[in-house]
Amino acid sequence: MIRAHQITYKHKEFHILDAVDVHLEYGELLAIVGPNGAGKSSLLSVLANEVKSKQPVFFKDRPITDWAVQELSRHKAKFSQHNSNDIPLEVKDVVMMGRYPYFDAQPRKEDLEAMNIMMYETDVFHLKDREYNTLSGGEKQRVHLSRVLAQLQNEIAHKLLFLDEPLNNLDVKHQYKALETIKKFTREANSAIVVLHDLNLAAQYADKILLMKSGRVAAYGTPEEVFTAENISSAYNFPCTICEHPVTRNPMIIFG
Amino acid sequence: MSISAILLVIIAVWSLNTGVYDFGGTPAFEVLGKMMKGDPGLSLSDRYVVWEVRAARIVMAILIGSMLAVSGTSLQGLFKNPLATGDLIGLTSGATLLAAVTIVLGGHFKQYLPEAVQFSLVGIAAFIGSFLSMLLVYRISTSGGKTNVVMMLLSGVAITAIGFSITGFLIYISKDDQLRDLTFWNLGSLAAATWTKNIILAVVLIISYLILLPKGKALNAMMLGERDAQHLGINVERLKKQIIIITALMIGSCVAFSGTIGFVGLIVPYILRLLFKSDYAFILPLSAICGSILLLTADTFSRSIVEPSELPVGILTALMGGPIFIAILIKSKKSLS
Repeated sequence: MIRAHQITYKHKEFHILDAVDVHLEYGELLAIVGPNGAGKSSLLSVLANEVKSKQPVFFKDRPITDWAVQELSRHKAKFSQHNSNDIPLEVKDVVMMGRYPYFDAQPRKEDLEAMNIMMYETDVFHLKDREYNTLSGGEKQRVHLSRVLAQLQNEIAHKLLFLDEPLNNLDVKHQYKALETIKKFTREANSAIVVLHDLNLAAQYADKILLMKSGRVAAYGTPEEVFTAENISSAYNFPCTICEHPVTRNPMIIFG
Repeated sequence: MSISAILLVIIAVWSLNTGVYDFGGTPAFEVLGKMMKGDPGLSLSDRYVVWEVRAARIVMAILIGSMLAVSGTSLQGLFKNPLATGDLIGLTSGATLLAAVTIVLGGHFKQYLPEAVQFSLVGIAAFIGSFLSMLLVYRISTSGGKTNVVMMLLSGVAITAIGFSITGFLIYISKDDQLRDLTFWNLGSLAAATWTKNIILAVVLIISYLILLPKGKALNAMMLGERDAQHLGINVERLKKQIIIITALMIGSCVAFSGTIGFVGLIVPYILRLLFKSDYAFILPLSAICGSILLLTADTFSRSIVEPSELPVGILTALMGGPIFIAILIKSKKSLS
């Protein structure tokens, strides 16, 4: 799905990313974790073709820069961390933006369907006629989640979703619901790369974990491989204990 | 949409019937109908007034009003702010400045240019003026896809100040006939309408609208920010270049033929946003028609309220635009400070 080798990205001689390798299979959910300033969002930006690095990123075995912008928009979507606060439109108009790659002047029937399905999925359907600007932070997050999911409602196989801290501002129920929705998306042979802060949620939902520290990969592998007390304490510079989750049998991280 | 189009036709008929000249009791609309049929009973002066004076002026008001409104709406989409219009950010001043320079100093270098360029020299100069101002304002006020509104408006003030001082100097050194031309430019008027000018304006309008009017969705997506717009399959760099060049072209040609008619690009999108919502896919084409309605109405009033003389139309549009400018400022008080 996506391959990148030795990605290096500098800003004014300061290494933001230093020789990072990323490899993602079809149907895989990769969680990028790490302390603040580790380069998680920058890595996501490079992979999603927002900023250029010297080393090529291969998306479906083709350099991502060779793809036409329009075509790429049907294969991948990105949920950004800093969403615009001022959009003087209604919620349904914002979600419909996700369907812009598909219609010219008027939305077709399938565009309206995709919009409605995804608004139900992210629990914003009851807000559809509200002004976007009057929503709370968490509600806005869900509207944008709905938008990027609607963007990938199509017949193309193996789509890719980038999500930069999608759980910010969400309450517990919606955090789990959002991850369930993303997990459901990857079960259909699609892939997702998610930047997460909650290590326990990452352990529960992700297939692979990429632990970053100071622009480098500190550890990569399955949650069991990456989430060892040693790895996490050294990456976060904070003591922690690992035990087994009593229900899911995943590693459970307890800090302090 | 169709309601506003019908409204425009009604206003055009009313405008045709308004004026000092008397067609011997028959409404001007019928006179125009007779002329279309090639009625030989029509006097030469009737024919002249209805076709060369009134109809030409009405068509020019429609074309220029439409282009000014659309340029305002697209600039607001590009800068993501309802205060971005050609006159407030200095594009009109830039166009006026270079047009004035060409009028006064053009005689010195005109003979070195090819004939086709000589003929449309003022128009080309106005386009270059608005294009350069546009580049300057964009460079100063926008970095990393974010517009600093205060910087945008202040660079407009700066360009207007420079334009004002140089135009003032040119007025001081210009000859009589040049002075008349310059005064016309500064006040803004549709009185000099001719069919040749209308044809040129119509060509500019058609080319611009073919590129710009389908961009409503893209302008909506720009509200998400440039990166997210790119993820939605929009070629953001190309979109920005197109808007910059096309709005400069439209404002330049409007200034070249009618001088500085202010505030149309501010009033029309503001009213449309109040009535509907800020969906550019909807208000961009609608502003094309409503701009025409606004300017045609204003122009008809300006030539009929002080008959037999007439007011510069810019006075009326500024009278409407000023309060709206203040209203937007009050509304966005928080976000500007």
